[in-house]
Amino acid sequence: MQEINEEELADIKSALKALLVKDLSLEDITPDDIKDDEILFGEGLGLDSLDAVEIVVILQRNFGLDVKDIENRKDVFHSIDTLAKYVYEKRKD
Amino acid sequence: MGKKRGNRAGFWFFRTSLKLFGLSGAYALLYPVCLYYLIFDRHAVSTAMTYVKRRFRSYNIFRRICAVYKLFVSQGKNLIDRYYHVAGLGQFDVELRGYDRIKSLLSNSQKGFILLTAHVGNWQASMTALKKLNKTVYLLMTPEENAAVKNTLNIGNEKDKAKIISPEKFLGGILEILKVIDEGNIVSIMGDRSYGHNSARVSLLGGKANLPVGAFSIATALKCSVVVLLPAKVSSRKYIIDVSHVITPRCSSKSGKEEEIRALVQQFARILEEYAVQYPFQWFVFSDIWEGEGE
Repeated sequence: MQEINEEELADIKSALKALLVKDLSLEDITPDDIKDDEILFGEGLGLDSLDAVEIVVILQRNFGLDVKDIENRKDVFHSIDTLAKYVYEKRKD
Repeated sequence: MGKKRGNRAGFWFFRTSLKLFGLSGAYALLYPVCLYYLIFDRHAVSTAMTYVKRRFRSYNIFRRICAVYKLFVSQGKNLIDRYYHVAGLGQFDVELRGYDRIKSLLSNSQKGFILLTAHVGNWQASMTALKKLNKTVYLLMTPEENAAVKNTLNIGNEKDKAKIISPEKFLGGILEILKVIDEGNIVSIMGDRSYGHNSARVSLLGGKANLPVGAFSIATALKCSVVVLLPAKVSSRKYIIDVSHVITPRCSSKSGKEEEIRALVQQFARILEEYAVQYPFQWFVFSDIWEGEGE
C-alpha cells in the first residue's frame, strides 16, 4: 500500500477549506473554523444539495477531477478529510 | 392532479370511459366529476384559488369559483388526453416550437441542458415529442409522482428515452444530474414549486412568489443552458409544445452570482406569466407559491 504524504494531504485540506469558504460564500466562517472531520451536509457545516454543485465544480476546476468519477463516490462528500483523501488518491492515479 | 384526485380508481374510470365513449364522451363525464370536487374538495379549491385570485384579480367570488371549476375541467382533459395517447386510441397533432434551437444547442456543445417546465398543460406528452432529439431525458421527480408518470410514459422500458432521477437520493440526486448533463443528456425539472428548498422571491402575476433556484444554480455551475418547456392544449386534438425560450446563465463574478440567479428565475417567471395570460386554465399550480403575501 502506498504511503500517504501527510504534508501534501494537509495542503489539499487547507486549499479545500479556503475554496469552500470563498466559493460557497460561507458567512461568518473562516477556513480555520472548519474541522477536518466535520460533517459537511445537513448537520455539521449545514451545506445543502446546491452547495454540492459548487463542490463538484471546485473539484473539477481546481483539481481536474471528472464529474463521472465523483458521481460514483458519494462517500467522499462526508467531510474535508474524505474529500481531501479522494483528491489525493486521484492525483496519484 | 393532486395525489387525492389522481388515484387508481379514477384513472380506471376514465380509461374505461375512453374505450367505451371515446374522447368526447370522457370529456363529458368530467363535468359532473369536477363539480363534485368543486363542492367537496375544499383543499383543492383553496389551493387552486391562490392562483385564480392573482390571475383574475378583477373577478368577484362567483366568477373565481367558476374559474376554479374551469381549471379542474381543463386539467381533467389533459389527463384524459394522456391516457388516450398512451393507450394508442388515437393521436394528437403536435406543433413543436423552437425545435431547431434546441437541436443546435445539442450539436454545438458536448453538454446537455436543463429542460425547465412547470405544472402546465400535458408536459408528459412533450417527452414523446422530444424523442426525436435522440437523447435520454431524465425527469427529476419523487417516487410518488413516478407511479402515474411511469405508467404513462412506460418508463423503465429499456428502449425508452425517459428515465427518473429521484430527489430523495443522496444530495437530492444532484450528483447524478451533473453527470448526465455532462454526458450530453437532458434533465427535466419542475420550476414552479420549491417544496421548501432553495427559492428566490420574484414578481409573478402582480405579487411576490417563491420559485426554486435549483435549475439555474446547476446551469450556472455547469455553464449549460436552461430550455423552458411549456406545452399547451390549443384545441381538442392539438397541442403546441413551446421550447423556444432558452435562458443561458452568464455569471461573471462570484459576488454577483446570487443576484444573477435571482434574475434568471425572474426571467422564467415572466415567461410563466406570459403563458398564464395566454392559457389561463392550463397552469395547474395547486400550491400557494405566493405564500406569506397578503391579498
